[in-house]
Amino acid sequence: MLEELLANPVVQAGVAPPFLAALIVAVALSPLRLGGLAVIAAFVVCVHFVTGIEFTPLTATRKILILAIAAAGIGPLLDFALKPTRIGVALIAVGAAGGALWAFWPVILQKPGMQAWLFGGSAVVALAFMVGFAQARLAGDGVRAGAAALALGLGVGIAAIFSASLSYGLYGIALGAGAGGFLLPQMIRGRKAAAGATFTVPAMLIGGLVAVGAMLLAQLPWYCVLILALVPVAVRLPGPEQAPVWLQAVVFSLYGFVIAGVACALAWPSSQT
Amino acid sequence: MKPLVVGLIAAALPLAAAAQVENYNIDPLHTFPHFELEHLGFAMLRGRFDKTAGKFTIDRAAKTGALEVVVQTTSVTTGDNDRDGRPRTRDEHLRTPDFFNVAEFPTMTYRSTAVNFAGDNPDAIEGNLTLLGVSKPVALKVERWRCGPDMVRTQGKRFMCGGNAVGSFKRTDFGMKFGAPAAIGDEVKLWISFYGFRQ
Repeated sequence: MLEELLANPVVQAGVAPPFLAALIVAVALSPLRLGGLAVIAAFVVCVHFVTGIEFTPLTATRKILILAIAAAGIGPLLDFALKPTRIGVALIAVGAAGGALWAFWPVILQKPGMQAWLFGGSAVVALAFMVGFAQARLAGDGVRAGAAALALGLGVGIAAIFSASLSYGLYGIALGAGAGGFLLPQMIRGRKAAAGATFTVPAMLIGGLVAVGAMLLAQLPWYCVLILALVPVAVRLPGPEQAPVWLQAVVFSLYGFVIAGVACALAWPSSQT
Repeated sequence: MKPLVVGLIAAALPLAAAAQVENYNIDPLHTFPHFELEHLGFAMLRGRFDKTAGKFTIDRAAKTGALEVVVQTTSVTTGDNDRDGRPRTRDEHLRTPDFFNVAEFPTMTYRSTAVNFAGDNPDAIEGNLTLLGVSKPVALKVERWRCGPDMVRTQGKRFMCGGNAVGSFKRTDFGMKFGAPAAIGDEVKLWISFYGFRQ
């Protein structure tokens, strides 16, 4: 049974290696307040195992990889050099939406009129809201931010699999595994780590872009993308602030799983039509 | 007078040469690229593309030719298009970025660079397959080739050629790496059965 589990491609590419990479990065770089880079490590490792890391021809998937790598530089820059204000957060949100348009514009253009507006609008709104909200309201709390990325990643991954793309499913699951690698040391130590833009920007950017990719390149309904964008909001709801860190992580993750579960449930029946 | 005759002959020569080049349009109703690759290490999975267009030319005197085939990747089918309680079919999966990525690459093309003859018939085609935005050389062997008037449908008014071209390639060479090689084989065998009507 264990051999079958380990032989499963989902475990091989989407869970185990990304989780280990994220755990190593989170533990090693957390003293430098760079533990948030764990999610990027997880995503890059997953891409390496699923399709290999290449940049030509420049497909939407490869643009997601480029944006994720760029976020590895932008996040720490925001945390250590720029200290984003309200306007700064708005600019980050606009930048995320711009990144989505850059990645998917050629595909959006091919859609018929109304569908192009619907898909393009969903992509822009989802990315801007997720990245902006998470930066404004979750960046100061490593547990809530980690729980949001965990629920978002698993939700996007499962919904993408329902939508016919296993590779996008694995990318989402890898994000969840990366968030798990970021959360676990906090749960064990009983002390919250810094999330900051180093974690929230790449985590929400990757999660949002993978969801949009599953919508435009596979069959994820547009409204599922918008529902998934609400995961960070759910994680911000009141919870057991005084409880041990591990319990907070569990409770906040459950908040996120409820919303992610709704998106997955809606992705399933829509694919039956 | 003499220069005029020479000039007329010189002007007519290219026309004579051009007259030997026959142009054919591929019949989409009778042209289907099929493919085969290993699935899970057990069986061979076969599929085909339902929408194909293209053209070819033959110069029988010079024993040369050219071939261009454009395949609509969204028309891929492997016979699994009924969800039957599952969230997705194999054909839907094949259209995603895991395989043909039809939203970004709606066509794949084959363009010949050389056509080699054996006797009076084309025997081997050298050319480039463009799949997922990547162009790589792929050689095709013409296994069957026949030309003649279409007696059945046009009482001989239409001249046609038909045959089979066979080749193989590694899908990972074109960036199609999902599941390769353990779950889904890397080596893809390709058959193109085709008809073409002379213009």
